[in-house]
Amino acid sequence: MQILSRGIRRGLNVTWELGIKVVLPAYIVVSLLNYTPVIKWLSSLLEPMMHLIGLPGQAALPLILGALVSFYAAIGALVPMGFDAKELTIIAAFVLCAHDIPIESVISKKSGSRVSSLIMIRLLAAVCLAMLVNYIL
Amino acid sequence: MSFIIVATTILKDSLLLFGQLALIITAVMIMVEFFQEYRILDKLLALTSPFTRLLGISGEADLPLMAGLLLGIGYGGAIIIDSTRQGKLSSYDIYLINLFLVLCHSLIEDTLIWAALGAMVIPIQIGRFILALGVCYLVSRFLSCFKK
Repeated sequence: MQILSRGIRRGLNVTWELGIKVVLPAYIVVSLLNYTPVIKWLSSLLEPMMHLIGLPGQAALPLILGALVSFYAAIGALVPMGFDAKELTIIAAFVLCAHDIPIESVISKKSGSRVSSLIMIRLLAAVCLAMLVNYIL
Repeated sequence: MSFIIVATTILKDSLLLFGQLALIITAVMIMVEFFQEYRILDKLLALTSPFTRLLGISGEADLPLMAGLLLGIGYGGAIIIDSTRQGKLSSYDIYLINLFLVLCHSLIEDTLIWAALGAMVIPIQIGRFILALGVCYLVSRFLSCFKK
């Protein structure tokens, strides 16, 4: 019973922190940008590169946010864009491999590894897995 | 007028997402507390030992690997850092643990969240696990050439 109440309290705390500071801002900014030409402009700029992994140009936004800021920022940004299941799956493949890189690198570093090669391998793995998913689906 | 419609849609949809995330994160946190209370990770170490043996790293690596795989780098971070600081793992072991974990971790939380969003996440997680194992295997072969 104590476990349950501790878990719920901790869960709600984390949700509040993440939700208010990360998910909602990303969600609201992207939702509003959807009504401006910014997303279209960004999309056409990045289309050729994103085409390699079978995604529309605007999908770069959640990928970049996921890698540099956090997993949850990517989620806040991608939901208002309305991707279909295949696109979501490719984005999931990329973001699952490469997310929260600044924070997770701190843990790798504290546990005693050099992180530069880890980050390179991660990004490479993310691109490869995304390409593979695009090819299979 | 249209601004109000836009604002209410954004508000409604973001609250929906917020609620979904709250459910998943709370469930994961209850699990984390449960794991800590009953020392579940210690009981599951047999699951990772075939993989640590395959990679030729010390059995002491099972605990940090299990913590990263099930709880994630964030919530399992304390366990990962602790076990690497006890001095029983070589820097080679630690590098392989970190390499494996950056590629593949937090299997429970991440799977639930992407499944809720509608991605076909289970095959991806399996692929990610195999990818992490393969990369670690190659790197361990590569590094062991230098060790000799």
